[in-house]
Amino acid sequence: MQIDMDEVLEILHRYPREKRHSLAIMQDLQHHFNYIPREGMEALAEYLECPLSSLYSMATFYRALSLKPKGKHIIKLCDGTACHIRGSVNLAGGIGRLLGIGAGETSADGLFSLELVNCLGSCALAPVMVVDDTYYGKVTLEKLPEILNKYREEAAG
Amino acid sequence: MTITIDGKRCTCEKGEKLLAVARRNWIPIPTLCHHESLPGQASCRVCLVEVVQQGRSSVVASCVYPVEDGIEVYTNSDRVRAERGMVLALLRKRAPDSQLIADMCRLYDAPDLDRVKVSVPGKCILCGLCVRACTELSVGAISTVNRGVTKEIATPYHEPSAVCVGCGSCASVCPTGAIEIVETADTRTIWDKTFRLVRCARCGEPIGTEEELAHAARKGGTEPDTLCERCRRRSMTDVLAATYGDRE
Repeated sequence: MQIDMDEVLEILHRYPREKRHSLAIMQDLQHHFNYIPREGMEALAEYLECPLSSLYSMATFYRALSLKPKGKHIIKLCDGTACHIRGSVNLAGGIGRLLGIGAGETSADGLFSLELVNCLGSCALAPVMVVDDTYYGKVTLEKLPEILNKYREEAAG
Repeated sequence: MTITIDGKRCTCEKGEKLLAVARRNWIPIPTLCHHESLPGQASCRVCLVEVVQQGRSSVVASCVYPVEDGIEVYTNSDRVRAERGMVLALLRKRAPDSQLIADMCRLYDAPDLDRVKVSVPGKCILCGLCVRACTELSVGAISTVNRGVTKEIATPYHEPSAVCVGCGSCASVCPTGAIEIVETADTRTIWDKTFRLVRCARCGEPIGTEEELAHAARKGGTEPDTLCERCRRRSMTDVLAATYGDRE
């Protein structure tokens, strides 16, 4: 994928050239591109005049940041205690069968990424799944195809 | 102020670290991640000692523990030996290939910990001293990468670093010799990057990599060195001798 450097620079210039903003800038890059492209990391190191290694360290430390391209839609499947005992592992298996991906992977069509996350704080709705910013509560294996197909149809137009 | 270490009275000043006071008084405390020039790393926990203050005993990391008047310190009590043994046992699981840690484990009768799985072979205990050395003394080419059980020390993207000057500071401060550095007659290879070695213009001894000398010169605002330390001193002596006419 070709990265538009103007977009990268626009994001960088939202912040003063101080190292304390590095995490915020990386979050913005992540939000914009759905991952942090290498070009963005290198431009940021130059912008903040700090070693690339220190940014790389941060980017690999935080789960919220990804250095690999993510799918268009991010499925966050809760595997907190409540969701876990209500069968989130089965759901992960179900998603795996439907999309052919495991946790942390992106589907071949680039539409979905699956993340297994810790408690989302909606235990009453367990098991919970969040696609982008939409919460789905009391998810069952039967409901999964319907939910996922909605995004597929949307992408197909 | 005065403190007691293993029964010996030691004079010290406010703000001094316990380890420094002990070492000044020839009381040995083992350390791994402590380095005189890069103090305060405090990650290996091997230097832990027992501090008794107002009848209460606690175990602290001596390398970062600021002394307080009247404390009693035990560097080798049963409790210290047991806890240090456990710390070493865990470090051995982290760095199973380190002979140094294996030897220290034997010294402290460290438990085997069969139930703990060895995640990665190697000698690195992830103390981060190399990262500090590189960041503070050199160029910041390496850092910790990932976290938890997958944490490691690496260059960005696991590729040869664009900025590394091959100074070897990281390898020289590493307590377990975990960073591989290979030298031939005229090259040095470290972190998968090979550098050309520069030799002393006078005696021919290797004095560092081209990039390292250039980096030092840039930092100091001088020309890159061409002589090794010994020859530099000798050439100064020659100049002095010529000036004062006292040669031979």
